[in-house]
Amino acid sequence: MIWYLKSVEQMIEVEHLSKMYGSTPAITDVTFNVEQGEILGLLGSNGAGKTTTMRILAGYLPATNGTARIANLDVHEDSLSVRQKIGYLPETPPLYPEMTVEGFLFFVARIKGVPAGDRKTKVTAAMERCNLLDKRHVIIRKLSKGYRQRVGIAQAIVHDPPAIILDEPTVGLDPRQIIEVRNLIKSLAGTHTIILSTHILPEVSMTCNRVAIINKGKVVATSTPENLITQVTGGSGYILEIEGDVNLAKQVLQNIPGVGLVESIPSVGMRVGGACLRVISQTGEEPGANIASALMRTGFNLYEMRRVNATLEDVFLQLTTTEEHLEPEVQQEAKEEEN
Amino acid sequence: MGVVIANIIAIYRRELQSYFVSPLAYAIAGVFWLLSGLFLVLILIGPEGILPKVAELDVQGQQLGIPVPPIDVPYEFIRAFLDRMGWLLLFVLPILSMGLYAEERKRGTLELLATSPITNWAVAVGKLLGVLTFFTTLLLPMLVFEAIALSGATPPMSPQIFLVAHLALILLAAAILSLGMFISSLTESTILSAVLTFAVILFLLFIDLIAKGIGGSVGEAIGYFSLLKHYNTFLQGIFDTSSLVLFASYIILGIFLTAQSIDALRFQRH
Repeated sequence: MIWYLKSVEQMIEVEHLSKMYGSTPAITDVTFNVEQGEILGLLGSNGAGKTTTMRILAGYLPATNGTARIANLDVHEDSLSVRQKIGYLPETPPLYPEMTVEGFLFFVARIKGVPAGDRKTKVTAAMERCNLLDKRHVIIRKLSKGYRQRVGIAQAIVHDPPAIILDEPTVGLDPRQIIEVRNLIKSLAGTHTIILSTHILPEVSMTCNRVAIINKGKVVATSTPENLITQVTGGSGYILEIEGDVNLAKQVLQNIPGVGLVESIPSVGMRVGGACLRVISQTGEEPGANIASALMRTGFNLYEMRRVNATLEDVFLQLTTTEEHLEPEVQQEAKEEEN
Repeated sequence: MGVVIANIIAIYRRELQSYFVSPLAYAIAGVFWLLSGLFLVLILIGPEGILPKVAELDVQGQQLGIPVPPIDVPYEFIRAFLDRMGWLLLFVLPILSMGLYAEERKRGTLELLATSPITNWAVAVGKLLGVLTFFTTLLLPMLVFEAIALSGATPPMSPQIFLVAHLALILLAAAILSLGMFISSLTESTILSAVLTFAVILFLLFIDLIAKGIGGSVGEAIGYFSLLKHYNTFLQGIFDTSSLVLFASYIILGIFLTAQSIDALRFQRH
C-alpha cells in the first residue's frame, strides 16, 4: 500500500468549502485537514456551521463551492465510494425504534456493504465497543437516551470505516454517559480518523488532538488545544478587582512589560466605583509583581488579585467575540502550525 | 449489479420486518380481512348475491317455460368480487404507503440511507417490493376463500381468467403504492401523505369519467390514463398489453419521482 511511503496521510482534506442556503451563507471558505488516526474537534456555537460542514463531508449535502476529500476521494464526485469509507452519526441518531439493537446493526452493515461472512463479527465487535452486548435483543424504542446514542455510534462504526464523522456525540447525555462516550471516541482514534463537532468546550480539550474553531461559518483557528491557549490568550493571566478610573487603569496596565491583553469583565457583588479587569500575560512572562506595584503607584485601590490559567473557553470567547481584531494574526499562526 | 440487488434486499427485508411489529399493520390486516370477507359472502349468498339471483332466474325460466341463457356464475362472482376489492384498495393503500418515506424523514433515518453506499432508486425499489409483499400477503386468505367457493362450480372456473384478474389486482395496487410512495417522500407528515394519496387515487380512478365529459380525441387520450378502466379490462379476462404497459408506467414513474424527490431534498434549506 502506498500510504506507508508517506509519514503522515491526510485522511480528510477540506478546501475552501462554502455552502449557501439560498442567499444566506452557512459556511464560507472553510479549510482544514485531518490526519490519519487523529481526532479533530469542530468547535462552535449553535448555528456556526458545524452541522452543515459535517453533512457536506458525509455526502448528504452538496457544497456550493470548494472541495472536500476523504481518503483521496471527492465526497461529491465519488459519493458512493466515499459513503462506504465513512461512518456518520447525525445530530439525532438515525434509529428504527421497532428494531432490536442487533437487528438494526445488521441492517446497517448490509447497506454499508459489509460482506455477509463478516457481518456477525463486525456487528458483535461494534456492540462490544459501545457496551451494548447486554442490550442486543432489546427493541430500540425501549432504550434510554444514553443507550440510543451508543447505538447511534455503533451504527457509525459497524462497517469499520477509516473516517468517522460524529455530530454532537455527547449531546443530551448525563455526565457519566458523557465520560463513557468520550472514552469510546478516544479508543477509536489511531485506527480511525475522527471528526466530531461540539459546543461543549471541555470536550475538545479532553478528547481531541486538534481543534478547528468555527464562527459564523468561518474557521477562525485550527491548532492543538494547548497551542491555541498559548497563542491566543498568552496562556495565563490575572483577574483584578480595583477601584478608580477603569480606562486609566487599562492604560497603566498596558504599559507594563509582559502584559498582553487587558479587558473589563463583569463581576457580581462589586462595590460602587469598582471594576473587574482581566489581564493576560504574554507567553513566559510573569508581570504580577509589576502590576501590583504600578496600580499602587498610580493610586488605585486593589481589592483582589487572582492568578488564572486561560482555558479553551477564553480562546473561544476571544475568537468569536473579538474576531475582527484577532482573526488575521491567529489564522496566520494557525497556518504556520500546519506547515 | 450484485451489490445493488443486495441493497434492495436489505431495504426490502427491513421494510417487511417493520410490518410484523407494527400495530397499524395488524389493524389494517384485520379490517381488510373483515371487509373483504363480508363482500365475498354478500356477493355470493347475500340477498342481492349471485346465487339467489341465478336460482330466481332459473325458477322464473321454468315457470314460463323459456330456456334461460346460461350464466357463467364463477366468472361473474370473481368479477363482482374483485371490483369491490378495487374500491377497498382506495382506502387501504394510502394507509400502507403513507409511512414509507414520511416516517424515515421524521425519524432522521433518511439521513442514514442518504449517507450509505446505496442509491435512491434502490431504496425506493426495496420499499415498494416490501409494501407490495405485505399487500399480497393480505390477499392470500381471500384466495383460499375464493378457491373454496369456486371448488364446487360447474362449469369450473377458467384458471386463466382467475390468474389474470388477480394479477390485475396486484398490478393496480403496485401502481397506486408506487405513486403513494412518491407522495410520502414529499412530506414528514404521514396523515398528509395518506390524504394526498387518497385524493390522487380517486382522481386516477375517475379520470375516465372526466375524459368522457371532455369527449373527442383529447378525452380519449386522457381516458387512457384511467386505472379503473384498465383494471376492468383485465377483470374481463382480457390480457391487454397496453393495460400492462400503463400499470408498469405508473410503477416506474412512482419510483423515478421518489428517487428524484429524495435527491432534491438535499438541495433544500435545512
